[in-house]
This record gives sequence, structure tokens and C-alpha cells, in this order.
Amino acid sequence: MNGVKGVLYRETQVLRSRIWKVLASSAVSPFLFLVAFGYGIGRFASVDGVNYLTFLIPGLVAMSSLNQSYGISGEINISRFYFKVFDEYLLAPVSRWEIVAGEVLYGVIKGLIPVVIILAYGFIAGAGLKMSLLFIPVMLVHLIVFSLLGIIVALVVKNHGDQMSVNTFVITPMIFLSGTFYPVDKMPFLAGVLAHISPMTYSTKLIRCSLIGTECDIWLNMGVMLGSAAVLFIIAGRILNGVEG
Amino acid sequence: MNKISVRSLTKVFGAHKAVDGISFDVEEGSILALLGPNGAGKTTTINMLTGLTIPASGEIRYDGTLFDPQNRRIKQTIGVVPQHNNVDRDLTVYQNLKAHGILFGVSSLNNKIANALDFSGLAAHADKTAGNLSGGMKRRLIIARALLHEPSVLFLDEPTVGLDASVRRTMWDFIRSINQDKRCTVLLTTHYIEEAEMLSDRVMIMDKAKIVTEGTAAGLKARVGKWALDIYRNGKTETEFFETRDAGLERLGALSDTASIRETNLEDVYLTITGRRIDA
Repeated sequence: MNGVKGVLYRETQVLRSRIWKVLASSAVSPFLFLVAFGYGIGRFASVDGVNYLTFLIPGLVAMSSLNQSYGISGEINISRFYFKVFDEYLLAPVSRWEIVAGEVLYGVIKGLIPVVIILAYGFIAGAGLKMSLLFIPVMLVHLIVFSLLGIIVALVVKNHGDQMSVNTFVITPMIFLSGTFYPVDKMPFLAGVLAHISPMTYSTKLIRCSLIGTECDIWLNMGVMLGSAAVLFIIAGRILNGVEG
Repeated sequence: MNKISVRSLTKVFGAHKAVDGISFDVEEGSILALLGPNGAGKTTTINMLTGLTIPASGEIRYDGTLFDPQNRRIKQTIGVVPQHNNVDRDLTVYQNLKAHGILFGVSSLNNKIANALDFSGLAAHADKTAGNLSGGMKRRLIIARALLHEPSVLFLDEPTVGLDASVRRTMWDFIRSINQDKRCTVLLTTHYIEEAEMLSDRVMIMDKAKIVTEGTAAGLKARVGKWALDIYRNGKTETEFFETRDAGLERLGALSDTASIRETNLEDVYLTITGRRIDA
């Protein structure tokens, strides 16, 4: 387990050194969405029988936590290609799976920061959140899946430019087509098809269901997320086994 | 006894052969310098020996045991000082060492970090952010980091590149003390002639992905002649070699061109074999 501990120690120390920047980036964007959509539109609209502000909060939790956990991708990318710090992991007498697990744990920790901030916004705004215990495993599996996705992208791309392309053509559309701002079943046909390919659609449903009590098939959605996590973990480990410094 | 044995090691990047079937041995407790110009294949060789790069073919043995990049037991005995100053810029000197120590499962970590800080002369800078260190201090931190888990083999890739002359000499003393005090086998790459001559027990010269010659620095120089006469003719320098200084001086006396006599160096060996200067 030295690999997990070593990677986690290094990454969390870096996080500590940048904590104010991470807090600011986690706080500002959801705040603007809340002001623009929650207060601007939310006062006049309701979705699936709930006030739009209440509907929006779980979407923002899903989106912002994804941004932070997937965001480790950029950090791995920079440490691989620019600062070569990632070589330290590759040289260490640890299994490559341990490196993946360490990075995933870091992604989970980083992803939890906006969750706390947005929940605080929700309570302050009186969004009527009814959080259940299901929220904890749901958030964990959501953050694990998108940390793994971040790791895979960072290991597959050849440079920072490729990384930006993946963000633009995959991650951003996924965020907008996964029920963050409005229900997937209200989307046009093609967008709805794409939404069902995205794991975020399933985690957003679960987050909404565990946070504001909307209905969803917990076992189906959780099954998809756990399956995605298992598949992505295997893919990440296999790719990392072939990565060279 | 050989600490490292390499046989027919090859690495290919696309259509380019970066290392082409090289074979060599490194004796336990010795310092071997891999000398050659940029692009000769020195760093790729080190990367394969440390598991950072996967060879296309060939074999590497440590103490007779076959090595592959997943061999954790052997990796535990290897320390690497890369060419790039890959310190964690956001972490302090202490945190850089601690992260490495955890990855390598170092016991009594705090004591060993304290020793590493003393040995590298960085004790007063332990809480300084590594990104704010000078080039020489970053280099020393990387060496301290590479030694923290007490490896029996240390790889140094261009250890003094980018350092000024005085820091370079301090670094040479540091490397010598690692070899002697810590009983560490050292393999270093360099394109500095003087560095290879000053530090190594044996020198291996690489050019265009192959080993072109190897031996002690004195032995290699003796092969071309102990004295070199540089003759400046038509804006170019031509070099002739002589076994004795007197023979060189006799030739100098017979010349109408400007010329100077000096002892041969490893660059002359490289020039004689490849027809080019090492920095060409």
C-alpha cells in the first residue's frame, strides 16, 4: 500500500498548498449558476414537481464535484509532461494499480470540496434539501468514476493540447447533456440518446434522488455507476502498466 | 563482481532506433560514465535500466537477476537522479523527501530525512518550498531524495548540466562521497569530457545509439596517443597525436602554421573514432 499512501500524501500536500485557489474555484462558479439560474429562473419555474432552485442544487453538486475530481487529469498531465514529477511514481517499487488507487482517492477528496460548499449554499438559500444516507455512497461512486476518467484521459493524451480537446468535446457536452440543468427525459431525441451513454446521467439522478427525494431506480443507476467504476479502474491500470517516463 | 549486466539492449521509437543492441557490465562499487553527445541514447539507456522505459529487446540483470519494470525488489535498490530537476515545486524540501520515503516504504523515515538533509547540506532549508531553491540546491535535493531509501545503485543523468563551474565541482565531490561513503555503484551520463574523466573508474562512449568504445579514461586516451597537437590551418583545427611530448614538439617545430601542444583528452578519443567533436 506504499504506492497509495505515497501518491495520496504527495497530492494532498499539493492540494494543501493550493487550497485557497481550489476553494475559490469551487465556490465561485456554482454561486454564479445559482444566482443566474436558481434565482433568475428558479423563482418562476418548477421541474418534476419541485422548485427549480431545489432541482438545480443536486445538478450543481454533480457538475462541480465532477469538475474537481476529473480535474486531476490536468494535474497529472502537467506532472507527466512538464515537471516530470509523475516519473517518481513510475520509478517507485509499487504496483501501478496502487498509483491509480492513490490518484482516485485524491480525486475523491478534491471532489468533496465543492459538495460541502454547494450544500452550504443550498441550506442558506432555503432550497429544501432532504438529504438521505444514500447520498454518501452515491457521491463516493460518482467521484471515483470521474477521477478514473480523469486519470485515463491524462494517461492517454500525448500533450496538454489533446487534454483541452477532450475537455471541450467530451466533458463539457457530458455536463450539459446529463441532467444537470434540466431532466434528461425532456431533452430532444438525439441528446437523450447521448445522455444515456454518459455515466454522469446516472450519478446525477442518484444525487438528485438522495438529496431532494425525487424518484429514481436506485439499483439500476447504482449498478451502472459501480460497473463503470470497475471497468474504468481496470482500463486505467492496464494503460498505466504501459506508460513510460 | 558485476552489479549490472546488459546484453543486446535495444529501444525503438517509431522508425528511430534510440539504443541499438548495446551490451556492457558495471562492476559493483564502481563509477561508470556514459559519455556522448545529445541524442546518443544515454538517457534512454538509463530509462530502460531503471524501468522507466520498456526495452524493445535485450536483457538487464542486477546481481544476476533478470530485471523488468514490474520488479519491485530490484527497483527498491535503485536510486535515480534524472536530467530534469523534477522536484515537487509546490512542496517543501522536507515534504519532497517524505513523499519519496513513503513511496519506497522507508522505515524510521524522520531520522533518515534528517540524515539526508544533513548530508545534502539542506537542513537549513527543510521548510523552504522546493520551487524557490537555486539550481544547485534543487540538484542536491534530487540526489538526497534518490539516496533516501539507501539504494545500492545510483543513476545520475547529466548530474551537473546547467550548473556553474564552482557548483559543478562541489557536485563532483558530492558524487564521489556517495560512491565511497555509501558504497554505491554509480552509473552517470554526461556530455562533459572533464566530468567523465574526473569521476569515473570506466568510461563508455556512445554515439548514434551504439557503444563505440569503453575502458578507463587513461586507457582510452593512450589508444590515440598521450599528446595532441592542435594545428590551426585555413580557419580550421586539425589534431595530430603523438606518443611522447618530444615527438609532438619536433612536429611543431617543423610547422609553419600556428599550433599548440597539450595532453589528449576523451574528446580526442571520440573525435578519432567518430570523426566529429562531442558537442557537434
